[in-house]
Amino acid sequence: MREYPLSGLFMLADRNLRNRPARTIAVAATFAVIAASLFSAQYLMSGARQSLDNGLNRMGADLMIVPAEYATSGEDALLTGRPTTFFFQDGGFETIADIPGVARASPELFIGTLYGQACCAGPIQLIAIDPAHDFTISSWLKENPSVIMGKDDIIVGSAIAGDIGSDLRFYGHTFHIAGRLDRTGLSGVDMAVFTRIEDAYTMADESGIKAARKLSIPKGMVSAVLVRVSPGSDPQTVSGEIMNRVPGTKAISRAGLSGTVSERLKTTASLLYGSALVVTAVTIPLLGCVAVLIASERRRETAILRGLGASQSFVRNLFITESVLLTLAGACTGIGTAALFLVAFGDFIAISLKIPFTMPPAGSILTSMGVALCLPVISGIIATLYPAVQVSRADPYTVIREAGI
Amino acid sequence: MPSEQPVSLPGILLLLCGILVILTPWYIFPVCEHYGNYVVTQTGMQLPMACGWTARAETGLGILLIVTGGILLARNSEETRRATGIFSAAIGVLVILTPTVLIGMCKAADHPCRLLTLPGLEIIGIVTIVIGGYLVWKREPDA
Repeated sequence: MREYPLSGLFMLADRNLRNRPARTIAVAATFAVIAASLFSAQYLMSGARQSLDNGLNRMGADLMIVPAEYATSGEDALLTGRPTTFFFQDGGFETIADIPGVARASPELFIGTLYGQACCAGPIQLIAIDPAHDFTISSWLKENPSVIMGKDDIIVGSAIAGDIGSDLRFYGHTFHIAGRLDRTGLSGVDMAVFTRIEDAYTMADESGIKAARKLSIPKGMVSAVLVRVSPGSDPQTVSGEIMNRVPGTKAISRAGLSGTVSERLKTTASLLYGSALVVTAVTIPLLGCVAVLIASERRRETAILRGLGASQSFVRNLFITESVLLTLAGACTGIGTAALFLVAFGDFIAISLKIPFTMPPAGSILTSMGVALCLPVISGIIATLYPAVQVSRADPYTVIREAGI
Repeated sequence: MPSEQPVSLPGILLLLCGILVILTPWYIFPVCEHYGNYVVTQTGMQLPMACGWTARAETGLGILLIVTGGILLARNSEETRRATGIFSAAIGVLVILTPTVLIGMCKAADHPCRLLTLPGLEIIGIVTIVIGGYLVWKREPDA
């Protein structure tokens, strides 16, 4: 049974740390770096995954079929919102809709707008849908029955500026903002403007007179086909079947997009995990050496404590408590600072790394925090354990006599 | 004989925050007009965007923070610490409110002012509030 109050142990440990501010700050800063690196890597990974899920759930498609030569552009348009314009024969659309395993297929036109829009710094992606087949915007309209998508009405992504009811001009054609989608973190949805195919044709027809550059949309051609597979069907098998039956097409799947995001994050995540690992590997032996030196320097102090009646376990626990408090303070500071920067600069990080990104769910954040806290604390305990045991076992009478107190 | 005052660390930090508040929207994370983006009126006149006006207001707030830090460096007494603490916390709140509520930034999410200047100013504002709170909370003997 413990024969001393815990509050006394913590108070003494806290005072010891405050009495050596330079060492306390230096060691805490090292653990702050470890915790910040670990937390940032996990936060980025789970934020990207969450965002991809949000965006793809919003689109409601399991596969996006695009011309094979535009697969990269199509993927980029989805992940980064980088506008692109491409088409393939829509004869494929009818074939795709009839393939076994395809529950619904929706053709879409991808049109990159011109520079100089009121809503955005650069060009954006205009996505023209066919209301008869669409399930992306239609499902959203069902959730928001007050919004009606009529002639020249557009539904904008969360990152597009402009109030509902106000106008936006693309290629000289005026559209009215009818609704705004919730933020998903996937730029291909957040930075997109959805319109009807017939309005896109009208815009293209008028562009010769009204716009700085004429837009040509070949009638009867589409850019991509969104596919929702039947329940029980494997998207992988269905995509293989589509590529077999409609040569020259490429299927962009959820797994494929996830792989691309992981690949883009690989360098940053490796760098963060690697730096945390290297700093930890260097810190444990270094902290061990420092702890041995401090233990030796504090032999008299601990001997007096023992002489005053403190037990071996009290002295050992005092050293370990100091280490835990120090690493906890460092790790909390590191995690707090990293979280502040990641939340504030989240959009900039996503654009720079070309990944979708949104704030991860609370459970995932707490797990990341837990892992980032545990590693420094465990490292600190490991590094202090040996000197703490050694100094607690020293005979107080011998130490005091040697010191000549 | 003049008494030797220890240099106030919060005073130095407030001074640095003030300098950062001035430099952030113009040099560190510049607002849109740095990239040549202006609002053009029908008469062809170029006016700063919302972020440009925010940058000008932040310059004023930065100067106030520098003065606050200077006061604390000149006279590090209990009374000054508390007064400058309250004042700097209020300035910190304004540093955040100016680009978010009072004037705002450009509405488009992909403008540089929204991606970099705004988060930069928010972080400096939070740090300023924390320093102000510390000055109000911390009891230290007069120098």
